[in-house]
Amino acid sequence: MSSLTPSSVLGQARKRLQGSTGARFWRALEELADDPVFRRELGDAVPQLASVMSMDRRHFLQLLGASLAFGGLAACSGPPGGKLVPWISQPNGMTPGVPQFYATALAYGGDVLGVLVESRDGRPTKLEGNPQHPASFGATGPLPQAAVLELWDPDRSQQPLHRGHADSWDAFAQVAAKLRMDCGQDGSGLYVLSGRLQSPTSMAQRDALLHRFPGASWHEYEPVADDNAEQGAQLAFGKPMVSRYHIEHADVILSLEADFLGDMPGRVAHARAFAGRRDPSSPMSRLYVAEATPSLTGSMADHRWTLRSADIAVFARELATELGVNGSKAIGGSGVSAARVKAVAADLLAHRGSSLVMAGESQPPPVHALAHVLNEHLGNAGKTVDYLEGNPRSSGNLADLCMALRRDDVETLIVLESNIAYSAPADLPFAELLQDVPQLIHWGLYVDETAALADWHLPATHTLENWSDLRAQDGTTSVVQPLIAPLYQGRSVHELLALLMGDTTQDGLSIVQQHWQATLGDADAAAWQHSLGRGIALAAPAAAMPPPTQREFLAGWQPARQPDDALELTFRPDPTVWDGRYANNGWLQELPKPLTQLTWSNAALISPALAATYALHNGDVITLEHGGSKLEAPVWIMPGQAGRSITVHLGYGRRAAGRVGSNLGFDAYPLRSSAQAWAAQGVTITKTGRSVELAGTQQHFQMEAPAPVREVTLAQLMAEPDIVGRDNVTPPSFYPQQPPGEYAWGMTVDLNACIGCKGCSIACQAENNIPVVGADQVRREREMHWIRVDRYYAGSPENPSIHHQPVPCMHCEHAPCELVCPVGATVHDQEGLNVQVYNRCIGTRFCSNNCPYKVRRFNFLQFSDLTTESLKAQRNPDVSVRNRGVMEKCTYCIQRIEEAHITADKAQRRIADGDIVTACQAACPTQAIRFGDISDPHSEVAKAKASPRRYDLLAELNTRPRTSYLAAVRNPNPALGDDA
Amino acid sequence: MTAHRPGNAYSAISARVSYLALQHPHSRPWWLAMIVALLLSGWFVVGVIVLLARGVGIWGIDIPVAWAFAITDYVWWIAIGMAGTFISAALFLTRQSWRSSLNRYAEAMTVFAVSVSGLFPIFHLGRPWFFYWLAPYPNRMDVWPQWRSALVWDFFAILAYLLVSIMYWYVGLIPDLATLRDRAATRGKQVFYGLLALGWRGEARHWQRFESLSLILAGLAVPLVFSVHSMVALDFSEGMLPGWHSTIFPPFFVGGAFFSGFAMALVLGIPLRYWFGLQDFITDTHLDKLAKMMLAAGLFVDYGYAVDIFMAYYSGDRYEIAGIAARLGGAYGWVFWTVVACNVMSIQLLWSPRIRRMPVVVFVIGLLVLVGMWLERFMLIVGSLYHGYLPSSHGMFYPTQWDIAFLAGSMGLFLLMFLLFIRWLPVLSMVELRKLATPEEGAGS
Repeated sequence: MSSLTPSSVLGQARKRLQGSTGARFWRALEELADDPVFRRELGDAVPQLASVMSMDRRHFLQLLGASLAFGGLAACSGPPGGKLVPWISQPNGMTPGVPQFYATALAYGGDVLGVLVESRDGRPTKLEGNPQHPASFGATGPLPQAAVLELWDPDRSQQPLHRGHADSWDAFAQVAAKLRMDCGQDGSGLYVLSGRLQSPTSMAQRDALLHRFPGASWHEYEPVADDNAEQGAQLAFGKPMVSRYHIEHADVILSLEADFLGDMPGRVAHARAFAGRRDPSSPMSRLYVAEATPSLTGSMADHRWTLRSADIAVFARELATELGVNGSKAIGGSGVSAARVKAVAADLLAHRGSSLVMAGESQPPPVHALAHVLNEHLGNAGKTVDYLEGNPRSSGNLADLCMALRRDDVETLIVLESNIAYSAPADLPFAELLQDVPQLIHWGLYVDETAALADWHLPATHTLENWSDLRAQDGTTSVVQPLIAPLYQGRSVHELLALLMGDTTQDGLSIVQQHWQATLGDADAAAWQHSLGRGIALAAPAAAMPPPTQREFLAGWQPARQPDDALELTFRPDPTVWDGRYANNGWLQELPKPLTQLTWSNAALISPALAATYALHNGDVITLEHGGSKLEAPVWIMPGQAGRSITVHLGYGRRAAGRVGSNLGFDAYPLRSSAQAWAAQGVTITKTGRSVELAGTQQHFQMEAPAPVREVTLAQLMAEPDIVGRDNVTPPSFYPQQPPGEYAWGMTVDLNACIGCKGCSIACQAENNIPVVGADQVRREREMHWIRVDRYYAGSPENPSIHHQPVPCMHCEHAPCELVCPVGATVHDQEGLNVQVYNRCIGTRFCSNNCPYKVRRFNFLQFSDLTTESLKAQRNPDVSVRNRGVMEKCTYCIQRIEEAHITADKAQRRIADGDIVTACQAACPTQAIRFGDISDPHSEVAKAKASPRRYDLLAELNTRPRTSYLAAVRNPNPALGDDA
Repeated sequence: MTAHRPGNAYSAISARVSYLALQHPHSRPWWLAMIVALLLSGWFVVGVIVLLARGVGIWGIDIPVAWAFAITDYVWWIAIGMAGTFISAALFLTRQSWRSSLNRYAEAMTVFAVSVSGLFPIFHLGRPWFFYWLAPYPNRMDVWPQWRSALVWDFFAILAYLLVSIMYWYVGLIPDLATLRDRAATRGKQVFYGLLALGWRGEARHWQRFESLSLILAGLAVPLVFSVHSMVALDFSEGMLPGWHSTIFPPFFVGGAFFSGFAMALVLGIPLRYWFGLQDFITDTHLDKLAKMMLAAGLFVDYGYAVDIFMAYYSGDRYEIAGIAARLGGAYGWVFWTVVACNVMSIQLLWSPRIRRMPVVVFVIGLLVLVGMWLERFMLIVGSLYHGYLPSSHGMFYPTQWDIAFLAGSMGLFLLMFLLFIRWLPVLSMVELRKLATPEEGAGS
């Protein structure tokens, strides 16, 4: 039996329970008290026997009483203080079991998105876009979809840590009080490092803090930010204007490495606007992209030219000269042929006022400035692009902070949600400098690399747990409202800053509310409620008129010509784990990265030509060397990569990310300097002779005839409208049509709109409780995504055209899977759904063998995590959690269909078009996916099916799929002919 | 037939065969083989435990290759059974009396191979404890099997075949068991064989019933030989996968079954006659005949390969053509060419009568054919699945140690049963051989 007396067990148990809020699940009081003897006994074969033998009657009764008294201890820690109102009558709008939606906003991957959060009896389970928010229009994308998993991540930091040991906020409050005393009036020695502030309340709090402590210093650093864009605007306009692009008005777009669909802020709205202009039935836009490594934007281009990142500036100069910009002298040698420069210049000139030149963050400031000059020159300013005053930035940057650290000026450093020990550039050795800081305080969602160095680590609340506000790229500001009380002991940044300022009375809500009362003036409660209900507090401001561009910089700017054989190393944020902050998110780790289809790791992307030169194969490990730093990385051969340019993605090689994200891939930061944050010139590579197996989900990329992805040019489609559909012949059949139900569900996927972001895959994963299987299982080709996005190349490996194809279950009318199942576990329903009966499935896997589309997914092992408590709370209660040995696949979100049925039945009406939105459809930024009743000729999906671009995948097999595709259309410049 | 008839006299036959079962000489090689069989079977048992605990994911199967070793093993084993039934039943019906010295061990081989093969379709299921859902038993949910699926019919086919094989084998054993009972020296053996002999007293009535029942069971078994393997073939040709969707599969699979079955009969028979000194019973002539049949079956199978390739191109179906191109030159091209070496090239030696009578050579060719036939099923299953319709879903299969464990373990299990058989039961049919020893029987055939 335990060495502890019952009363000491209870005392310790209570102490530990105070350390956590909400229900904590435990098996015995001793386990909770963390008694070492009990832990040893748990390991024994028959602990029960041991405990019974050593227990006398008195002891037993004591324990019995204790169990009775404290059996419900977990319940006692229930809701936090405040006024509790008993549930007398059902609150308006709330029905148990029926989800509710709340509008809020979400900061993710350098962007801000207005979202609606689905709450199931108080548990946030799924995010959808806020249709009224101009950054979303109802769509999301992969990173926002994964935010729910982050909330429920069991590895999140749960309590304050003082030098690695559990402590309390009360203890930290005393530290904060002492800090205020020590700082005195001036506050010198107090430094704050934060990520890029996007919250107006935070900015106001920052200003208040700096006002209170004038000697303090606030620094902002974001590994992936828009510093170059800001400096470029500074060059061109003399002040940091923020560009706001109106892609919907652009007939001709030139992207200079600007991945406006992939990683630029505002990407979701850009994607919607771009897709809107790609419909061949209305005037279609044309996109030119010059880039070093294929991006989502590049994959959608009508003309994509691969250049080293450094050569793009040269190309921009050539183009400016061709366009007749004063002061621009071409230096030549960008690698883009004169014919192409002429053609694109002519195209831009022909569309004055409706063209658009964009520069990417990876380009240096003068290229951004030149893009502003070109837009002004082409008369686009105010039409396809307008400008906003930027957010007021903090005074300091990371280099300043580094200087202060080296000078030993820093008494106290407060790091707010920044993993600087991991993500600092190589020339600013923060991991070492932070060790000498007298007092380092870290506030963040995880106990990460920086937290490990900190004297105090304070847990942050997740954005779904706190009150805050956020300003989106276009200036729209939203109030962030919590969906759930903090799961652990986290506090929001506002509460933390208030605590530091000595204000312990205000909670997050009142801080944010106060700020908004001050901002909105005499805002009453109704206005506040209204802004919460809509998810928008302040609409986007009108564009500010920028001053005329200054072109002096052109004279002094001479882009350095790199030798033709020089190797370049470019850095990119990872498409899924971004700068490393989402490393512990299993959904994002397992999402095949768009374009590489790699999961769970990054790789050094090299061109096929470079691979041939060095005789490298996928997975061969090379050493990259630059500026005295070395890095070992496996290579991945990337068709469409610039010949002498290597790309590495940030965000991997985390050492303290959590159970999911630690020690995956390689850390690219050690090669990244603050001066060459995006492209380093003159790297050398050597082979190590070793090789690793990378976890890719798709090994074959070349299409075989007949191509699964059909693509035509606009000219072809105009000349022969039936060019796509004429091959789409469904063979005759002996069998009768499927029994016609009241509805016939069907789907179309518009390949002309799909940008390949894979938001659909994660949305489906969140909606349908799809498990994460891990890198090893992905290597074994057992990933579980119900909707995958295939990626194909056509053309030469040096610069192929890139295609994306989302593939859900086709719900074939003549489903090959149904025929072969011996137990009838996959059957057809009367509305045309091919349904999978998990309870009946015995796992012969014949259905998967017989599926020509290979959309069926099998639980080879117990993939669903049935033990982690917090993950249970994340799941969608309307969808079964599948166990091992069972086949599963896309259901067309049958739970949403059934919900619509119930709603319509109650109202005694038919299900209207648009009542059912599948999870993939809702998430899609470009509305590429349409779903509905194909028997209703007026439904959106029926109209899409009637499109001349419609074709069915493998139609010749007579499977009669209910999911159809619309062929992609490209709009190349006829003037370029074969020289595309 | 006189030339083929064993020269032993009536009682000498019984004495010789019973001696093997009752005195079990040559126990040293038997024990060595037994240790190997026990080790392999143990590995199999461990594999089954791990499989039940963790799931079929312990194997290397994936999407798209959702069937691999387990189904290959299944088809391979059930095919091996075919030759035994053919030798004992079809040659019995056609009065080929030379079969008499082969039929007992060949039938035993059938029963054991089918038993082993039957384990695979169960263990390969994602949820093997629900395998009985394939059976049409009445239940309150009113759920029945899905009759269009070949797997349901396959379930019946295996079950029927296993039951008939066991009955046929056992019925044939009864008079021999009675002989052993009579010759047994110890009480224990007398009881053991006595119980198994079901009170056989050798009355004329017994003999008459024995003969009619043998005839009926042989009549049942012969069509089953063809139906079972046609059914196995339909498991694949029902699918629409290029490389599976072929009408030649049923006869092609039956041919393959005979091919591997005769090979196994040789691979088992040659060491058996060597160790037990049965050269007088299993003569070179028997080897010659088995080798001839193996050659004939092999040529039929080879024809199947050729037709498969021809039909793909003749159909003009681009998926079929791509599938054949992948089979010949794809990632698993080496499998195809090994199959050609084993199943096409090696058997050409059997055209020579001299070679057909060289036990060692025939044994090696038999082994090669067994390897080739296993690889052929692997080629048809994995080689078709890995290269489906959409290029995005092409994917490789890599076996794990548990794939190997189940293959090797199933061989161990088969060997274990076969060793117990040769240890305790008459390896040759004394009844049949005694018939041959009588002049009037010999004249009749």
